[in-house]
Amino acid sequence: MNRREFIQCAALLAAGSAGIPNTWSMNHEQHRFLAAEKSYINNKPLTFFSDQQRAVVKVIAQLIIPTTDTLGAVEAGSDRFIELMVADWFMPQERNVFTSGLNDLMEQQKDFINLPVAAQINILEQLEDDAADAPWFEFGNTIRVWDGDAPFICQFKELTVLGFLLSEVGSQQVLRPNPMGSFKGDIPLLDTDVSYATELPMRIEFEGL
Amino acid sequence: MIDSQEFDAIVVGSGISGGWAAKELCERGLKVLVLERGKDIRHGIDYKAEHAQAFQLPHYGMPDRKRNAREYPIQSTSYAFSEATIQYWNNDKDNPYVQTEGKPFSWVRADAVGGRSLLWGRQTYRFSEQDFNANRVDGTSIPWPIKYQDIAPWYSYVEKFIGVSGEAEGLAELPDSEFLPPMEYFALEKTIKGRLKKKLPDITLTMGRAAILTQNHNGRVACHYCGPCHRGCSTGSYFSSQSSTLPAATATGNLTLLPNQVVESLEHDETGSRITGVRTIDSITGERKLHTAKIFFMCASTIGTTQILLNSASELYPNGLANKSGALGKYLMDHLQVLHMGMFVDNTDSYYQGNRPNGLYIPRFRNVGDQDSDADFVRGYGYQCHTFRPEWQMSFNKKGFGVDYKESLTKPMDLWVWATAAFIECLPDESNQVTLHASKKDRFGIPQVVTQFDWDDNTRKLAQDSATQAEKIMRAAGALYYQTGDTENLAKGGSAVHEMGTARMGDDPSKAVLNKHNQAHGIDNLFVTDGSFMTSASCVNPSLTYMAFTARACAYAAEQFKAGKFNA
Repeated sequence: MNRREFIQCAALLAAGSAGIPNTWSMNHEQHRFLAAEKSYINNKPLTFFSDQQRAVVKVIAQLIIPTTDTLGAVEAGSDRFIELMVADWFMPQERNVFTSGLNDLMEQQKDFINLPVAAQINILEQLEDDAADAPWFEFGNTIRVWDGDAPFICQFKELTVLGFLLSEVGSQQVLRPNPMGSFKGDIPLLDTDVSYATELPMRIEFEGL
Repeated sequence: MIDSQEFDAIVVGSGISGGWAAKELCERGLKVLVLERGKDIRHGIDYKAEHAQAFQLPHYGMPDRKRNAREYPIQSTSYAFSEATIQYWNNDKDNPYVQTEGKPFSWVRADAVGGRSLLWGRQTYRFSEQDFNANRVDGTSIPWPIKYQDIAPWYSYVEKFIGVSGEAEGLAELPDSEFLPPMEYFALEKTIKGRLKKKLPDITLTMGRAAILTQNHNGRVACHYCGPCHRGCSTGSYFSSQSSTLPAATATGNLTLLPNQVVESLEHDETGSRITGVRTIDSITGERKLHTAKIFFMCASTIGTTQILLNSASELYPNGLANKSGALGKYLMDHLQVLHMGMFVDNTDSYYQGNRPNGLYIPRFRNVGDQDSDADFVRGYGYQCHTFRPEWQMSFNKKGFGVDYKESLTKPMDLWVWATAAFIECLPDESNQVTLHASKKDRFGIPQVVTQFDWDDNTRKLAQDSATQAEKIMRAAGALYYQTGDTENLAKGGSAVHEMGTARMGDDPSKAVLNKHNQAHGIDNLFVTDGSFMTSASCVNPSLTYMAFTARACAYAAEQFKAGKFNA
């Protein structure tokens, strides 16, 4: 096992290593597959946005989830995730909403990336106020694969969050891995405790029910 | 082309039933050939995404909507379908069937050695005496040819092998299994259990009975609680053909398993009382073969087996093989699922460790014994209950930017969700059926399946009752808010993936395809032990019952074989 594989496996076994049954181990093929499988965002080149668009996307993502005592959206690669998802995963109509939203913003705020943070936030809040009637904000409108009618700012926010909390950084450094090895159904939740990371976007689990 | 190698028995399918047939026949000394339509999936080695994390999957695991609509429109509706399990599933575009307009049925299929034993929900419940008596008592359809006492020892037999974790409750309506220790409760579940005990003492809330090991068992290792079992489990901690029955069959030296073999039809002798061979098409090379043997076990899943038997029509069996009764393809059943949900603000200072791949269960409590004899419906339902602590994935769609928004995403929400999914018994109805299309063929030239399915009135009444009772339960349990499921726009048939009943068993050959040994009436070397043999559906998950009947039928078949009954 090389160092890269070792780190991958260590990350997988994470906090629960003490509780892992002795006989539990990954076989060689799984080691190879998981070690070879880089993060989705590092597997593909970015070719969809212009440099100017990319710069604005970075700034907005970081405004949504800034760096605090933990890393922020850009360090976790949310901006790369957004570009790949808009390019690869969106339906054409969703892609239009996103690119026109982004272009409108850049048209109206030509110097957006150089504005003071407070001014930038104001602009985003205005966008969110304008979208306030969108069903995207309704309680429970998270149990679906994607809201095809989401306005630009909502699309942006959702992709930023997914790109952050499902990422390697977000799932391991901001949230925490759920230790494997045993199940305990009742342990104290401390004020300082963060949620467990999830292995898949939960929305999938609800589909079909 | 005749394959010269002769086997004692051929088993079609390697899923839950096929795996058991292989194990039992091999262990009884028969040379067995298993023909599997799907691709080869090796235990452990091929569970590639077993412990992959979201960031390693394409689109971080977000389902590829375009591909799913194009190639997996039916399979992708299953909760177990994801980027991490896609290799196990049937491609709908490559393997089309026809759904009757207005009467849809979702045919959820695997495309792998092990079949849906890799993907199943692992819930494991015995049918009760009441279930086996139900048709006789309420005069629906035909009676089962056996009683609970006939199958009880076989339940024990398979349970001891597969390992079932759960709690003994001593209920006649849900007989206990041979149990390994149950899994732990969440704090909220203990709270709910306490409240229900006081306010609704007739309702039992018990830990889900699951074919998942809570301690090492028969050479397999206890569960490590990683969570998504259906990705495959290299420690064999849940029962699958790969982890359990196929290794046991292989160990005898009597097993030959061929993947990628699509069974087209069965051949019979000139008297029509014996099957002589199985015609296959290799799904990769297109090569056609005839495999011969003395005994034939059909374990290709309810619709798969029915398609093969219908497609084996001959001069002697113009309506399909073993179909003198006319019952073949008819009486298709499933369970209707209706999901009710409650939110709770109790125990929010309690958390958990590990992912429990199991929930709680509320056994049937309607029309049990003589109670509720005034109800305007027969039969009943059980609730499968899922408890979870919502977090950012349920709450990200709110206003705000920056530090506070980020902070709010990292904490569990101050509530728990407790969902009770009613699994409702459906009655055997002649008009719910599987037939073959007159002209449409699949890529192998086999006539396409046509499904036709609608929920009967009794099931609809049960759905409404499940909402009424769920409301009572949610109130007694102390839900802050609850919502009962839609009982008008019902889930499509097939959605529970408990399809069964299209080659039912019964004593009367004019009404049933199979006798009490899962043996075709009039064809003594043909056995059918997948879900198609089911004469009624109960409300509990059926896989354990398929296993028990398969083991029982194999013991009978092997005995007959050894007595020379199948020699010309």
